[in-house]
Amino acid sequence: MKVIAVANLTKKFGDFTAVDRISFDVNEGEIFGLLGPNGAGKSTTIKMLTTLLYPTSGSARVCGYDVVRERDLVRRCIGVVFQDPSSDRNLTGRQNLDFHARMYNMSRLEREERIEEVLELLELKGKENIKLKDLPEGLRRRFEVARGFMTRARVVFLDEPTIGFDIRARMDLWEKIRQAKSHEGSTVILTTHYIEEADYLCDRVAIVDKAKIVAIGTPSELKEAVGTDIISLEVAGGSADGLVPQIKAIPWVKSVEVFGESLLLSVESGDGRVPALIDFLDEKGYPVATIEERKPSLEDVFLHFTGRTIREAEGGDNGKELRRARIRRR
Amino acid sequence: MEVSKEKELKRPLIEWTPIYSMWLREIIRFFGQRSRVIGAIIQPFLFLGLMAIPMSRLMPPEAEGLMEQMFGGLNFFSYLVPGMVGVGLLFSGIMGGVSVLWDKEFGFLKEVMVAPVRRVSLMVGRSLGNMTVGICQALLTVGVACLFGIWYEFGIASAPGFLQAFVFMILTYAVFIGLGLTMGGVFGDTEGFMTIVQVMQMPLLFLSGAFVPIDRLAGVPVLYQLQFINPLTYGIDGIRASLTGAEPFFPIWVDFAVVIGFAILFLALGTWRFERMEVS
Repeated sequence: MKVIAVANLTKKFGDFTAVDRISFDVNEGEIFGLLGPNGAGKSTTIKMLTTLLYPTSGSARVCGYDVVRERDLVRRCIGVVFQDPSSDRNLTGRQNLDFHARMYNMSRLEREERIEEVLELLELKGKENIKLKDLPEGLRRRFEVARGFMTRARVVFLDEPTIGFDIRARMDLWEKIRQAKSHEGSTVILTTHYIEEADYLCDRVAIVDKAKIVAIGTPSELKEAVGTDIISLEVAGGSADGLVPQIKAIPWVKSVEVFGESLLLSVESGDGRVPALIDFLDEKGYPVATIEERKPSLEDVFLHFTGRTIREAEGGDNGKELRRARIRRR
Repeated sequence: MEVSKEKELKRPLIEWTPIYSMWLREIIRFFGQRSRVIGAIIQPFLFLGLMAIPMSRLMPPEAEGLMEQMFGGLNFFSYLVPGMVGVGLLFSGIMGGVSVLWDKEFGFLKEVMVAPVRRVSLMVGRSLGNMTVGICQALLTVGVACLFGIWYEFGIASAPGFLQAFVFMILTYAVFIGLGLTMGGVFGDTEGFMTIVQVMQMPLLFLSGAFVPIDRLAGVPVLYQLQFINPLTYGIDGIRASLTGAEPFFPIWVDFAVVIGFAILFLALGTWRFERMEVS
């Protein structure tokens, strides 16, 4: 069953098109991710789905209600965790949760029960009476997630839930989001520019770039769509630069990139690629020192569909340099 | 078809729970910030102790008769007390409007904007919260004035007069929170807003009869007339007449009508701005 149905949704700010005719459906009970670089239009999409912005054209239905004409009904069935903190830092976590629940007309008894429940669910017990401004970022965020689930929303929106977190805090929150989602049976839709987040959390992912959706599918479907595996290798005794044209001539090798001592090959999926390559290089007098074959990651998927990595798409840093560093780490 | 569904959804005209929640939040917030509580308590002492008392010593004792004539039968200190109350209401009312902007900047507004609640209810609740604080401060000012009044001859004329003054305080506060909300909706960022507020507060403050009787400016072009379009002039005139029993400058019903008129106008404008606000 479709909980969210988006068709040709568009948002323009003056001449700038932030979201360009995107369409997708979200099924009941799944975690759906919008993956893309900053500025791709993910947050704008969320704001339209949560009735904060009016679409320029196209339509979107959440829980079966139109986000423009039935705003109130939509608001009643959603919970939202915004990208920027949106709690009152001068109040305690409990006060924030209680205030939120009142806005949804929950009775006192119901509120108290439910607060206990979400505190338990997100492991916030014992922290609820501390002013939010005195808590570390990660816990503050967890209170916001708790608030998103507070009113038993059918759909919970998480806009960049772990932005700016270190990896430990991030994994911690992923765990909590999963737990909460499966306990509550809600549908979760999240935006992220962290590849791992989409890969780890999402049942299905839509890759967003330059205001458009370029691909939708489960992470493994998307990876398969790339149609290639990746082999990285180093030859004994230094550079193999001279070999690049010959390797490229192998029919199933799609591309070769050189990063210092190592080569990064993109090859058509298939068995026996690694042994074939070792034999080939041996013949040429370049014994292989290390070689590794792996399935493409969502990052490769992004590269495949958009022609750049997420970091390159976000600009700022020198993407090439980062890519090299990334490969070194492997 | 969808439109009819929206209409079917029955909402009470006044959504008590959200209004109460917003009110409560403001009160909790206020008491949670010790600096605000202390500031609110000290301010009446400063206004009265550092402004009203020294100013009331401006004229030599021989001129007492002349002064009472000038101040509608009041001594200077008693004349200044309602002015101080009015000025306090002006400041705290406009700050009430600023706090909406702060919410916007700190993102809190977003949270309430996705709640299934009328925006007017949010605004009303939040305004009532700020108003409660502002009015308590005004009452404290009157109380402190009565304390100082032991030495400076100030007293409340009558109980009904006090109640009438109370009504005027609420209306005056409503005018300025409405103005604050309107401007808060118009100006997107806090800095721009604060500049405008400071520029606007000066004429509102000094051309209101708070310090200098309105008719003393007769013959001064522009300034004299400006006093008549300043809502604070009517608010203070009403508070003064009610509190001290002195003769008001305008008939009391005029004060009342003008303050109510301004309050409705600004609150309507503020609500309208708030309703239209897109939160990005």
